[in-house]
Amino acid sequence: MKNNSNITKGPRYINPYFGGVLLGLLLLATFYIAGRGLSASGAAKLSVVTVVDKIAPAHAEGNAYYDKFIPTDGSSPLFNWLIFGAIGTFFGGMLSGGIYGRLKKLRIEHSPNITGKTRMIAAVVGGMLFGIGSQFGRGCSSGAALSGTAALSFGGLLVMAFMFGIGYVFAYFFRKLWI
Amino acid sequence: MGPLIPQGIITGQWDFVIALLIGTAFGFILESSGFSSSRNIAGVFYGYNFVVLRVFFTAMIVAMVGLLYFNYLGWIEMDMVFVLPTYLAPMILGGFIMGLGFVIGGFCPGTSYTACAIGKLDGFAFLGGFIIGVFIFAEAFPLFENFYYSGYMGNITIGEVFSISNELVTFIFVIVAIVAFYVTWLIEKKVRKNRTESKFE
Amino acid sequence: MNKNYLFLAILMIILAGGLLILPERTNYTQINPEDLLWDIIQPSRYVTTDQVAKMLIEQDPTLELIDVRCAKEYNKFALPNAINIPLDSILSPNYSDYLGIEDMNAVFYCNDDILADQAWVIAKRMDISRIYIMKGGLNCWIKTIIQPTPPPETASGDEFDQYDFRKGASMYFTGASISAPKSDSKSQVTIKRKKKTTATAGGC
Repeated sequence: MKNNSNITKGPRYINPYFGGVLLGLLLLATFYIAGRGLSASGAAKLSVVTVVDKIAPAHAEGNAYYDKFIPTDGSSPLFNWLIFGAIGTFFGGMLSGGIYGRLKKLRIEHSPNITGKTRMIAAVVGGMLFGIGSQFGRGCSSGAALSGTAALSFGGLLVMAFMFGIGYVFAYFFRKLWI
Repeated sequence: MGPLIPQGIITGQWDFVIALLIGTAFGFILESSGFSSSRNIAGVFYGYNFVVLRVFFTAMIVAMVGLLYFNYLGWIEMDMVFVLPTYLAPMILGGFIMGLGFVIGGFCPGTSYTACAIGKLDGFAFLGGFIIGVFIFAEAFPLFENFYYSGYMGNITIGEVFSISNELVTFIFVIVAIVAFYVTWLIEKKVRKNRTESKFE
Repeated sequence: MNKNYLFLAILMIILAGGLLILPERTNYTQINPEDLLWDIIQPSRYVTTDQVAKMLIEQDPTLELIDVRCAKEYNKFALPNAINIPLDSILSPNYSDYLGIEDMNAVFYCNDDILADQAWVIAKRMDISRIYIMKGGLNCWIKTIIQPTPPPETASGDEFDQYDFRKGASMYFTGASISAPKSDSKSQVTIKRKKKTTATAGGC
């Protein structure tokens, strides 16, 4: 009885292979239209650049990394394809969450073995590592690993292989966070 | 014909509208596949939920095969498609750090956007951490600027590295992906026997 | 396991396998036949040996001489700084970046006009602009530049000027080829290959 209700009440997600085909076709369309793949981390990076540029323009110009992303014509770094893509990603997620009934009040999702606070700390640490790693890797899992590899880039393959590979290597040590 | 924007077929502000639409579709697919939940995503490392691997690999092989057909039919100019440049050592390090971040944080940037969108505070935490991470990187950049640019190999493709055709590379990817789908299906069946729950909202 | 998955997997393998067995892609960009015919009847596609000689002497940086004879003949004798692209390999990707370089005038030549004309048509059909043929080829080059014949005494002043120029050019070219070994002049090819089409920058 309980099992039955579990099946009907379980999360309503689309078939992963169907999702994958959709994502693949979207990626293909993106290549066809824009000549480059999907990207997520670029928007967050440009936001950082913009904020630093606003607060301390001299500092931003003195730093070779910020300087790379500040447009020379004086326009805002935010006026960029990546930013609009990220805004779209946010709304797309909201749309799907709304349709499937997952758009609810603010909450923390965590394994029953850890507290919400532990989960939040882990999320911040994970995010920080991703922030640093994605700059070295020239992109995150969508920009480098997925789009890069789909365009047959060797660097994309490297990022993907190491990202998942290292994930498995360290999975054992962080199992308490998840199972 | 394609790609449309680099060829100048679509110009002006239209490309931002298109970016918005593509982003929306991207977010929708990620969320509806179950990527707004970090516990679903982390399942790939513990064997109880391989949705990440399924979506990721399917998308990759579909896009790869599609791109090569588009190229063959002359619909897309492969020279104008952005091939991510390779910086050997920095990219290996980047993948290393991101893998660690992945297993600790349970998201990647794209999925954290969708998690934020449906109201998950851990998604916001991840995104906040990501921004701090980029800030740390940029502030410390002068320390490892030389390393950051080291090992440059150009916009090299997988086929060029192993001196085989990219068609063969794609074929190998397809085979590997399908084998991986089958093997992970077996693993998942086994692991799920000992669990009460393996799909999360 | 669902039967549909098996079907999809097989479909994917067939699609990917199809890429392997497809014949080489042959759809080059071509200009339409009317334009080609129009360009073929234009006399402006020819340059004279005098013009080529002048550009060589002035070391015109936009001149790109392309020798379309076979490599054996090219090694025996060639114009200074000429590149050898045998006619049968003009479509080969090894040479594709020598053609259609921005701001360069490519001049095809062979012993007469025939091979150069064929090369010109092929290049034209690939929609490459600024291509020319050296009228008369090397035979004409020898006759007019290397061993010029004096015009009859009744000829106009222009013809005498031309003769003087040719005599000077003859000394320039024959003298140069004696003082400098031929292998040297060939290694001086300074043609810059054209850059690959720039792709859009930056993902993440």
